[in-house]
Amino acid sequence: MAAKPDSPARHATTAASHGDGEVHDDHPTRRTFFTIFAILTFLTVVEVAVPEVFDSEWNRSTKMLLLVGLAVGKALLVALYFMHLKWERPWLRHIAAMPVYMGIFAVLLMIEHLFRPLVP
Amino acid sequence: MSASHGVATVTTDRHFGKATGGKIAMWMFIAQDGFSFGALLLAYGVLRIVADAWPAAGVSVQDILGINLTAFATFVLICSSVTMVLAVDSAQKADKGATVRWLLATIAGGAIFLGIQAYEYTILSQAGIGFANSTWEGQEVNALFGSTFYVVTGFHGLHVLSGVIYLCFILAGTLRGKYTQGGLSYSPVELVGLFWHFVDLVWILVFTFIYLL
Repeated sequence: MAAKPDSPARHATTAASHGDGEVHDDHPTRRTFFTIFAILTFLTVVEVAVPEVFDSEWNRSTKMLLLVGLAVGKALLVALYFMHLKWERPWLRHIAAMPVYMGIFAVLLMIEHLFRPLVP
Repeated sequence: MSASHGVATVTTDRHFGKATGGKIAMWMFIAQDGFSFGALLLAYGVLRIVADAWPAAGVSVQDILGINLTAFATFVLICSSVTMVLAVDSAQKADKGATVRWLLATIAGGAIFLGIQAYEYTILSQAGIGFANSTWEGQEVNALFGSTFYVVTGFHGLHVLSGVIYLCFILAGTLRGKYTQGGLSYSPVELVGLFWHFVDLVWILVFTFIYLL
């Protein structure tokens, strides 16, 4: 993207690296990374324990909901903090979320397919 | 973004902020790669839902797949994500030594993950889980179990392998001091980082859908 000097919306800048480990508008600290790492490790341990705890047929739905919830939570932590999406502008977040939109669309199609026999 | 003497410069954009062109392009690549994984996982889900028994009558997925070993591989990948983010942070601070160390740690994490996957494939194939036909302790297993397992985890494994090779190239550049000159020279390290975190993110989903559910 070439800068247009006459455009008020674009200001040519060179981003500076700070090197002081402090939080600026677009830089998380190392403490944040280690906190996320600890949370991810803890959630992985919980994930492994879930199929052991909810191993009966009657609590199968609880197991599924818990595991999917944990996986989505972990994926969001990686995307937001390690991939810096938390500090990005909405347009970049929309690009990143495109597969999620596809997933929602696909689930809607599958639900429609499941209920199709009910419609005369 | 424009390149000047090999160092990227960036403009502040109304829609993308300070994101470089390379970063936007990497995100677009990641999104389309996400479509590929999404399609594979959706196909896996549909095949599993319509199957009479998965993987076989009276046999659970956890009976066949080694959850503890894979959980360890998941932990290794999470660790490598942390080392990657620290490599980007070090490159941003123009600290060449730390960047090299963290990149090496990330490459080691990826190599360990690939080693575990190769070991897992060997054990499973010896136990009778094939790509097209599978048996488990003399009992016939749904043929799609092996197919979907190897396709999804294999596709992810190829991404890990690509990531390790990509990281080796970035490491070579870092050793030459290309990415630790200050300013936006760290940008290529950030881009490989995005790809590596994506590989980690996808594995989190694959681990849940293929191994735990």
